[in-house]
Amino acid sequence: MKRSLLDPRSKLILSFVAMVLLMTFSYWAFLAISLGILILFVSQLRLWQNWLLFLKGLGFAVLSFFLIAWLAFDLPTGVISGLRLLTIGTVFFLFFQTTPPELLSNGLIKIGFPNAFAFVLSASMQFVPVLIRRARNIRDAQRARGIPIEGGIKSIIYLPAFVGPLLIQSFKFADELAEAMEARGFGLSGRRFRYEPHLRWIDWTVIAGSFILLITALLIKYAY
Amino acid sequence: MILRFEGVTYHYPGINTPALDCLDLSVYPGECLLIAGTSGSGKSTFCRASIGLIPHFYHGELNGKILVDGLDTRQHSVFELFRHAGLVFQNPDAQLFNQTVEAELVYGLESLGMEPSQIESRLAWASRLTKLDALTDRLPHTLSGGEKQRVALGAILTLQPQLLILDEPFTHLDPEAAETLRSILRAMKSEGITTIIVEHRLHEIIQDVDRLILFHGGKKVAEGPPRQVLLEDVTDVGLNLPPLFRLFKDFGIQTAVFDIHEAIEKLKVQSLLNPFYDHLIGQFKNLPKASKEGMHPAVEIQNLHFNFDGKPVLRGINLYLRKGESVALLGRNGAGKTTLIKHLNGLIKPQKGWVRIFGNDTSRKPVSELSRRVGLVWQNPNDQIFRSTVRKEVLTGSKIFNAYDPLWCDELFDRFGLLPYLDRSPFALSEGEKKRVAFASALSLKPDLLILDEPTAGQDEPFRRELTSCLRRLEQEGQTILFVTHDLEFAAEHADRWLILADGEIIADGPPNKVMEDSTAMTKAGLRPTHHFQLFQAIKRLKENGT
Repeated sequence: MKRSLLDPRSKLILSFVAMVLLMTFSYWAFLAISLGILILFVSQLRLWQNWLLFLKGLGFAVLSFFLIAWLAFDLPTGVISGLRLLTIGTVFFLFFQTTPPELLSNGLIKIGFPNAFAFVLSASMQFVPVLIRRARNIRDAQRARGIPIEGGIKSIIYLPAFVGPLLIQSFKFADELAEAMEARGFGLSGRRFRYEPHLRWIDWTVIAGSFILLITALLIKYAY
Repeated sequence: MILRFEGVTYHYPGINTPALDCLDLSVYPGECLLIAGTSGSGKSTFCRASIGLIPHFYHGELNGKILVDGLDTRQHSVFELFRHAGLVFQNPDAQLFNQTVEAELVYGLESLGMEPSQIESRLAWASRLTKLDALTDRLPHTLSGGEKQRVALGAILTLQPQLLILDEPFTHLDPEAAETLRSILRAMKSEGITTIIVEHRLHEIIQDVDRLILFHGGKKVAEGPPRQVLLEDVTDVGLNLPPLFRLFKDFGIQTAVFDIHEAIEKLKVQSLLNPFYDHLIGQFKNLPKASKEGMHPAVEIQNLHFNFDGKPVLRGINLYLRKGESVALLGRNGAGKTTLIKHLNGLIKPQKGWVRIFGNDTSRKPVSELSRRVGLVWQNPNDQIFRSTVRKEVLTGSKIFNAYDPLWCDELFDRFGLLPYLDRSPFALSEGEKKRVAFASALSLKPDLLILDEPTAGQDEPFRRELTSCLRRLEQEGQTILFVTHDLEFAAEHADRWLILADGEIIADGPPNKVMEDSTAMTKAGLRPTHHFQLFQAIKRLKENGT
């Protein structure tokens, strides 16, 4: 994972401001220029391959947005809707690609979010592969018994064969995890971090710049 | 004294039978203890109670007193106790909750609010001790089972607790990873760390412990130096005795021997080398049964290749299994064993080459059709259990295929000791009982080929004995069996033929003794010959040298 120069908190604020601006301004040129800038970052950080993989997932949603907005309104609205989703998606792609979840979690705790909230955020990324592996094992175990859970009407009848073991194992896993976390001091007050998040001058500059940009843009949009 | 249990009795909520029953036990600084017993003997409950999870996390009824480093666990929270006693749990997946190995190792230290410089020095110490230096940037979920186990151990070691407890640490390890863990435990012992290892595979660690304690029904039934305890009458405890100890016992010598050198010395002193040699020869399961039972193919594999994420998992596998053979598939974790067995019932289709099961090309048959002839018993029975009663669970497959044979299924219920449980929920059974349900379920379709994935992993001796008698019966009935295992003693006992898989290739194929003689293949696969074979070879060498 690429580590950026910025603290996760300043990056979070920057991403939030970027999202508000992208949601506020509905000009295709603005969105296209924003996307161009973001692509420059992608290129600079050598994240092309990951971005293309990310687009494989997001592409369908972008296309759907474009088509629905085009059919419901007109072509420019379709283009703007598609571009907006692509740009916002890329903002968050860059954020998560350059922010290790534990740093994000540490940053959130520093802002004052509760430990549990920060953990849920990072754990959701951590345990997805574990649960996918378990789901795959269950699917294979049931298919090997001849239970049709691959598709079709029959798979609905046999849905409990997949969902039942997965739910039970997930609950058991959650229990075991809670035990292990308790035994390592999760939630203990006075926690200090090995990489203590520090806001440096560059972070303050980014935060100040983000707010100035946001206020200026909103003034332009709504006051004039 | 680091740990003291004084008359401890504990009941889980809503359960009448005590999980711990009047337990008195003391652990002294620098000791290395092994606690053994069957499933349900109270070992894991003891672990939980030792770090305060009982009574703070698990409610229920606790009587008596538990002192950890002088602190009463009733009066001190888990947060206070975890600096004094650390527990490495059974399932490494469920204790790794950070994004990198390094973050995992320092998590506890961060919780304690330690200075970064202290964190660095403890991190360096623990990662050196647990041999994790090269893995610190890795994502925990991408590690092998053995590596995950080491990370879980390292994460507790960084806290430098007065007492370290490991709950069945060897269960999911291949022989090589088990050896690495043993060397780490020896290093910890030399550093004076007080350690309690809870394990039912005694031979994994018995040589390195100072004291052995046996649990049965929540009670301590024996305690003392390992040799002394094993020489007591411990038959009822259901112990998986060390292989050499068992061999000597079968021969009629009641002596506690744990290594080959010691065994040879004992035999020399008693002038029993020759009769013992004959005894060993008599015990070898060496004759390829298939040659007697015909040459009809059960499995034919030709030039099978399989890649995953661009990496080769199977590379040009050629294999021919005959009907009636009992074959063990061996190799380290990640060698491609599971991928290979998934090809046998079509769960994975060949990317290159072909697989035929009883003449049927798996790429042209759906899994549902192949599963009628190939029964697969997975390592974790919880992956398949979903019905409301044991009866329904076992009969699921046969009902789907309209192949329900009441006589055969009744025999299976009887054979697997499931008759008392037929109307009970399978979820309420013990892990060993669930495994029996999974076996019966796979056999209910009368499969022509039975595949077992790690049948003995995490199972205690009583289950092992049941499994042994069941497999012997199936072997006598001419059932074709293929099993994947790390348990070489079990493989030597049941397989006519061993296949060793390493880096996606079969590097050895033959009767167990021939394969064990192939030291190059054994080393490449991270395997060591069974104690039985090692002793046989050692005596043979002595005889050849005329000693």
